[in-house]
Amino acid sequence: MALQSQNKVVRWIDHRLPIFTFMNHELNEYPTPKNLNYWWNYGSLAGIMLLIMIITGIFLAMEYTPNVNLAFDSVERIMRDVNYGWLIRYIHMNGASFFFIVTYIHIFRGLYFGSYKQPRELLWMIGVVILLCMMATAFMGYVLPWGQMSFWGATVITNLFSAVPLVGNEIVTWLWGGFSVDNPTLNRFYALHYLLPFVILGIVGLHVMALHTHGSNNPLGIDRKGPQDSIPFHPYYTIKDMFGLGVFLLIFCGFVFFGPNLLGDPANYIRANPLQTPPEIVPEWYFLPFYAMLRSVPDILFIKAKLAGVLAMFGSIGLLFILPWLDTSPVRSARFRPVYKWVFWLLVIDIVLLAMVGAHRPEGLWVIAGRLGTLYYFVHFLILFPLIGIFERPLPLPNSISEAVTKKGGGKVAGATAPMEKP
Amino acid sequence: MRKHVLALGLAALGFVVLSSGAMAQEEAMPPLAKQKWSFDGPFGTYDRAALQRGFEVFQNVCSNCHSLKLVTYGDYGPGGPGGGLGYNDDEVKAIAAAKETTDGPNDQGEMFQRPARASDHIVPPFPNDQANRAAHNGALPPDLSLIVKAREGNADYVYGILTGYKPTPAGMKMPDTMQYNEHFPGHQISMPAPLSDDLVTYADGTKATTAQEAHDVVTFLQWAAEPHLEDRKRTGVKVMIFLLFMTGVLYAAKRKIWASVH
Amino acid sequence: MAETAQPGPVDAHTPEGGTRRDFLSIAATAIAGVGAACALWPLVDSMNPAADTLAAGAPIDVDLKSLQPGQQIIVLWRSRPIFIVRRTPDQVTKLATPEVKGQLRDPQSAANQQPPYAQNDSRSVKPEYLVLVGICTHLGCIPEFVPQPGGSLGASWQGGYFCPCHGSRYDLAGRVFQNVPAPYNLPVPPYHFVSDTVIRVGENPADSTFDFNSVEQI
Repeated sequence: MALQSQNKVVRWIDHRLPIFTFMNHELNEYPTPKNLNYWWNYGSLAGIMLLIMIITGIFLAMEYTPNVNLAFDSVERIMRDVNYGWLIRYIHMNGASFFFIVTYIHIFRGLYFGSYKQPRELLWMIGVVILLCMMATAFMGYVLPWGQMSFWGATVITNLFSAVPLVGNEIVTWLWGGFSVDNPTLNRFYALHYLLPFVILGIVGLHVMALHTHGSNNPLGIDRKGPQDSIPFHPYYTIKDMFGLGVFLLIFCGFVFFGPNLLGDPANYIRANPLQTPPEIVPEWYFLPFYAMLRSVPDILFIKAKLAGVLAMFGSIGLLFILPWLDTSPVRSARFRPVYKWVFWLLVIDIVLLAMVGAHRPEGLWVIAGRLGTLYYFVHFLILFPLIGIFERPLPLPNSISEAVTKKGGGKVAGATAPMEKP
Repeated sequence: MRKHVLALGLAALGFVVLSSGAMAQEEAMPPLAKQKWSFDGPFGTYDRAALQRGFEVFQNVCSNCHSLKLVTYGDYGPGGPGGGLGYNDDEVKAIAAAKETTDGPNDQGEMFQRPARASDHIVPPFPNDQANRAAHNGALPPDLSLIVKAREGNADYVYGILTGYKPTPAGMKMPDTMQYNEHFPGHQISMPAPLSDDLVTYADGTKATTAQEAHDVVTFLQWAAEPHLEDRKRTGVKVMIFLLFMTGVLYAAKRKIWASVH
Repeated sequence: MAETAQPGPVDAHTPEGGTRRDFLSIAATAIAGVGAACALWPLVDSMNPAADTLAAGAPIDVDLKSLQPGQQIIVLWRSRPIFIVRRTPDQVTKLATPEVKGQLRDPQSAANQQPPYAQNDSRSVKPEYLVLVGICTHLGCIPEFVPQPGGSLGASWQGGYFCPCHGSRYDLAGRVFQNVPAPYNLPVPPYHFVSDTVIRVGENPADSTFDFNSVEQI
């Protein structure tokens, strides 16, 4: 539908470059299920976080120096001497954490309400690519301040690739550009850390394109049957997203202004020292579950523990790509899946457990907990997912979104308020 | 099914709680006592008198072995972050000029010594880490610029170290160059107990007990590590008030717009 | 867009029972806009000179013992070239002559391009020594020191500075000539004599509070 604007200039431009029609189509009148709950806020929040990170990052880059002798001091100069440097850096630093919080909630929402199922498989897979790019960006960004955790985190994570059979050591040397993590490594990480966010931005474009092809999933997981099930994105979801953003910013700014180092490791305020490893190397919290898997896997037959751990870590994300085909249930929303609804929470508990394992030295009970947690993660996706879909008897689905919404007051509709929903 | 799953989940949680308890016992460290700091809380500020006393302790005691490389003399003055320690420009000049720093090369190509200026970084006690190690039995006194932020426990930890010297427990072997400190990881610390009663004479007449000295110098070191703390908290309060107001209006607008849908 | 609830022109996307432009929506948008604008300020301000940049540029001492009459030395202060010239008595006398002053844009140094203690015919504390910031007030090039009269700069050239970029000309007090692109005289930095032959560039004499940042153009 062409844009019908009163403004002559807008019409003149739009006739030649239909940018206003496009924006009107995708952001204004874009039809959205009328029953989205607040768990659907996290997609746009993640987009806003990406923009905040890019903007603060560009201004930090103006003051930062990627050289092993100067990097730490240049970051401290930002914190002490640059006008509002402390604010921009604390936003960027805590922004990484909050970007992951938002993204993880976004992913779990997709898992609970079956957003990855037909016809949104590619939408989901593109999302997994975004997650991988985010992880790479966050990891390389964490190296830049050149503190103790930066240096030793970089050493440990790049050494993962030495587990690759035959050419492992060559790959690691290539990654480093030398014989240890050093100036060439810092420089290439800086270059890539600046590049990748823009790659992510492009992939987010594809993500939104795929989303707008079939529209948002919804808490009922049933398709929209007609106009009565939809409302235009603007103003309904713009205002809802804005309100959600306000609440989010309150929490985010609480951390930035009143506890900016709560989520960070004190050891990163110590200048990198290649001669001394910190007593405990712990990644940022958002990598802890994966870090736990890396350390937990024992020797399996002819595969050494080192390689097995690396495979488990990458595999844990890799299997998300085939998730749409692992899930055999035709029903999307966990609200109508009496078994899956509970198994979902087991995964949440499992990942929290793995995060705790990752934060502790691999001793005693933590080793066993790590192994069980890793095992369950794979059992969950590779065995429980297909089996539940086959044996579970889903509850009857409502006929349409609008019917379910109008009946909601009576509490008659199947799948009464699920634990993950806000009333 | 549901019950089984719940039971499993609870078991997992219970396991986590139990095991973290077990882990905590392994490290036989007394818990750090929570001190009262002027910079605590959302409205915390630096107590200027404590900062200046802390500076006196740093200047007379700590700075004999420890550097403070990220701080400049100018930071102490009114041009420093958040107004510095409360010294005026002349006092800063005098503090700086008391130290000699290396500059150059001059026209003859030689390095020379000159009194430090406000724009100079705090002159370190030793020209390099190796010289510092050599003077301390091979142990390197760390730079103190970020020490409060660089240790788990932050200000309470540094205070704990400064006041945590105890006689070596019977049965523990202690090398001659080491001391027992209940808060130091491993309990063997190279630094001899740095503070004692009346070690410094405060300009403002405060009684210089060990606890008072420790409290003051930690306040000073917190300032050195996070000089913009007051700025940050002040801005934060304003930002939070604005966001609360904005979110309230957004909520009202959201209610109004959605009224017709529900 | 068959699926939209209320298909039609843009303005139709309004909830029933109220216009989109109602007070609350406008207020919410305005407040969010103000918030976003305020959030931009720290970013913009971060590009201003940082505290360490401002604190640097401490005064420098220059020993003039070996400087011969007619010679110039260049030193660096706040990463800017400072010209220091020891003028001959003859060169000093010429600065006050009407023939020279008649060709200048600002012969009395009326524009704020020097501390008050250098607002005189020689634009200096001691007429013998000229101290200038050697940056052309046109577009920031460094003018050449051409003390000899005549030569390729024409018969009327009495010695001074010639900017190679766009041909601006200054006399031996850094005063700009008429009909050249540069608008102002070369700035004089704050300085004073610590001893007979040592000057301190970047610091006023004890009785002056001249602020170098207040000059018209550097």
